[in-house]
Amino acid sequence: MSLTLLLQQLINGVSLGSLYALIAIGYTMVYGILRLINFAHGDLLMVTAYAAMYGVLLFSLPWFVSFPLAVIATGAIGILLDRAAYKPLRQAPRISLLISAIGASFLMENLALVFIGGVPKPFPRPDFFGYVFKVGDLHIMVLTIYSPIITLLLVLGLLYIVFKTRAGMAMRAASRDFETTRLMGINLDRIIALTFLLGSSLAAASGIMWAMKYPQINPFMGVIPGLKAFIAAVIGGIGNIVGAVLGGFLLGLCEILIVALLPSLAEYRDAFAFLLLIGVLLFRPTGIMGEPLIE
Amino acid sequence: MSPPFEMRHVTREFGGLKAVSDFSITLERGELTGLIGPNGAGKTTVFNMITGMLRPTAGDITWNGENITRLPSHMITARGIARTFQNIKLFSDMSVLENVMVSCHYSIHSSFLAAMLGLPKHGREEKRIRKHSLKHLEEAGLAPLAYEKAQNLPYGLQRKLEIARALATEPGMLLLDEPAAGMNPMEKMELAAFIRRIREKSGITIFLIEHDMKFVMNICERIKVINYGQSIAEGAPDKIRSDPEVISAYLGGASHAQG
Amino acid sequence: MSEKLKFRFNVASLILLFGVLFLFSRYGSGYQVRILNNIAIFITMAVSYNLINGVCGLLHLGPNGFIAIGAYTSALLSMTPAEKQINFILDHAIWPIDVIQVPFVVSLIAAGVVAACFAFLISFPVLRVRGDYLAIVTLGFGEVVRVLCNAAQSVTNGPLGLKGLYPHTNLWWSWGVAALAVVVIQRLINSNYGLAMKAIREDETAARAMGVDPFRRLMLAFLVSAFFSGIAGGLLAHLITTISPGLFTFLLTFNLLIMIVVGGLGSTTGAVIGAVLFAWGGEALRIVEQPMEIGPLTIPGIPGMRMVIFSLILMLVILFLRKGIMGRSEISWNSVESMLAVWRRTQTPP
Repeated sequence: MSLTLLLQQLINGVSLGSLYALIAIGYTMVYGILRLINFAHGDLLMVTAYAAMYGVLLFSLPWFVSFPLAVIATGAIGILLDRAAYKPLRQAPRISLLISAIGASFLMENLALVFIGGVPKPFPRPDFFGYVFKVGDLHIMVLTIYSPIITLLLVLGLLYIVFKTRAGMAMRAASRDFETTRLMGINLDRIIALTFLLGSSLAAASGIMWAMKYPQINPFMGVIPGLKAFIAAVIGGIGNIVGAVLGGFLLGLCEILIVALLPSLAEYRDAFAFLLLIGVLLFRPTGIMGEPLIE
Repeated sequence: MSPPFEMRHVTREFGGLKAVSDFSITLERGELTGLIGPNGAGKTTVFNMITGMLRPTAGDITWNGENITRLPSHMITARGIARTFQNIKLFSDMSVLENVMVSCHYSIHSSFLAAMLGLPKHGREEKRIRKHSLKHLEEAGLAPLAYEKAQNLPYGLQRKLEIARALATEPGMLLLDEPAAGMNPMEKMELAAFIRRIREKSGITIFLIEHDMKFVMNICERIKVINYGQSIAEGAPDKIRSDPEVISAYLGGASHAQG
Repeated sequence: MSEKLKFRFNVASLILLFGVLFLFSRYGSGYQVRILNNIAIFITMAVSYNLINGVCGLLHLGPNGFIAIGAYTSALLSMTPAEKQINFILDHAIWPIDVIQVPFVVSLIAAGVVAACFAFLISFPVLRVRGDYLAIVTLGFGEVVRVLCNAAQSVTNGPLGLKGLYPHTNLWWSWGVAALAVVVIQRLINSNYGLAMKAIREDETAARAMGVDPFRRLMLAFLVSAFFSGIAGGLLAHLITTISPGLFTFLLTFNLLIMIVVGGLGSTTGAVIGAVLFAWGGEALRIVEQPMEIGPLTIPGIPGMRMVIFSLILMLVILFLRKGIMGRSEISWNSVESMLAVWRRTQTPP
């Protein structure tokens, strides 16, 4: 395979990975504090995409207004999701929480199906992002370059919040020791809401970029990316933000490169992520950034 | 004849911190030995290593001539070492009788196919398990409560059930982790009598952790003292009572015990 | 109640059940027979699924994989070589699939055995973890099976699926298997083996300390569950006579989850009730998706509404009726006896 092709695929892989990374962060943050796999997290992609689309098409908002609004709205929906589906089950066994999450996910998908319809709708991608420019033999869409940059900026912003603010410190404390943090007088409800807000907003940002990358949106568009992002979070070490980012990029790169190097296996692309997961769980269950298991 | 139970130079590290360091002990058959020390001294870690819940970083543990250091918990139980837990770990949603019947599982003779097909061999096995379990409940005075849910029992009886459950595995050695915790003086007296009865009847080796000094001095023939993961004294109760190192360990800054 | 009397009641109930089935098979409409078959197959699936999720307490999200394996195994074994030739148009079926053909009952047993073999293999990675990890790994297994069925053109005929299967499944097969599954699985749960599984669910560390080997016990549950799920898959294949990978998605798992959660996680009776309610409710709710005419108005059908209602029911049960209908209890002849005794006491004057 030629060098330019390899370079092309590397760029694609990094770009795809950045999208996974943003979604993975949301999973890992929620898991870190609540020990819950938020199955409905992936569907937030879909929510943002439709919100952004309707903002432009129905309310004639310019994209640079509609898109951020959609992200904020999705952040709020994330908090709502916790309040409705997870908060009542704080003391319940974990299996109940997981079932509630699955139920919430299906509910969101099918509500969208009922009210919006299953026919894929075209996403109003701004021409700027869709422009494909050439560098030698490489064809690169502007979005492909912007995705990792935007991701990096958002991640840096998040890391600042988590490591340099008091709220962030409270979040870190809560993920270490939930009970004790509560005993120290910290309002855990606010912290949890903040966690969902941040995680959902990042996923929403990814949702916008995803919709621009694959501009046909449908109610189930968040399922596969959500699942893969979760796997990325696990690979990176669930509960660890940097791990989620690393895992996202790693998964994106591997996915693109495998398909590029072995095109006959392209159909197995989705299964590959799960096989990678099983491999990680077998040999290093705590993930890249997790501590190795002692016993 | 070599002593049935030996721990030799056992160490357990957690990322640089030595929870237990160079711990050695031998127990003779039928001995009643206590393990005491301030909070956080490493006592439960010792128990966890014996029962296979944690693996020692160094050293080895021998039982009846076999090196059991790396065996998983269930195999160690099958070889005759049973335990109770510091925080009661009963099967809450199951009945008292069912809790004890679980202990018979590792020695079950009939296969799952016999169970699924309802073969008479399995029926006989279930009867045997039931009889065996009820017998242990009777000895612990819990038979009238056999069909109560374990979580409905008062605290003191829950602790007794834990012991009965462990005894039902027919062990050669019993590890009791703070069996008297949370009990009033009368309950403690009953417990002490119960433990002595167990030892008299079956001659099993008993190793127990306790914070209540009176209880330990009263019942144990030999006591081992551990502080900061290291063994600091060993001997008869009187000797331990007046050992200066033991006294300073308890009074000198570390959390002190009751009694 | 004495064992002898219980046995007699059980036999009587079975006779009654098969009597009712006989009547339906003779005089019932095709629609009714189809629903009854569906109910029976769902019962088998739900009871097997409850063994893992309810009794062992593991969140297993991959039953769709075992059902798919069973369906394909049974279909491929029971089809004649000629039928296979007709189906495998893109890629010829590989040997020995293209020539093998066995009677229906053999194909069913094979379906169960092959599914159990897969369960054995995945036990090793799956049972190394618990909780959420186990959920994701089993979910992944279900997905991988579906993708493999889609991609392995020369084995499963890929996305085209298999058509024209002979409708072997009738009320006797489906309900016979369901009855067998309920009896056999319930016996296992009531035995000391079941106690060990429940102990693992309650407190795995304590179970280990009492001599229970979680790996062997959970693997047993997996094998039994997969066996019956596989057979249910085979029955399903020969009921709807057309199978494709799209039939065995996570949606199937979700439906099973609804059945056992609503029925009561941990209760076999609950699983049966859940399966009946789901099959019947699913049919009843179909009307929501069809256009309805009320007088002069025509209310258009809303596709997807059924799933919205199901999701809502699941969430409402999980949030408010935590334990489901049965909780963890079972209905047995003993419990019927005590309920009658209580009722009788309220009737007699003081």
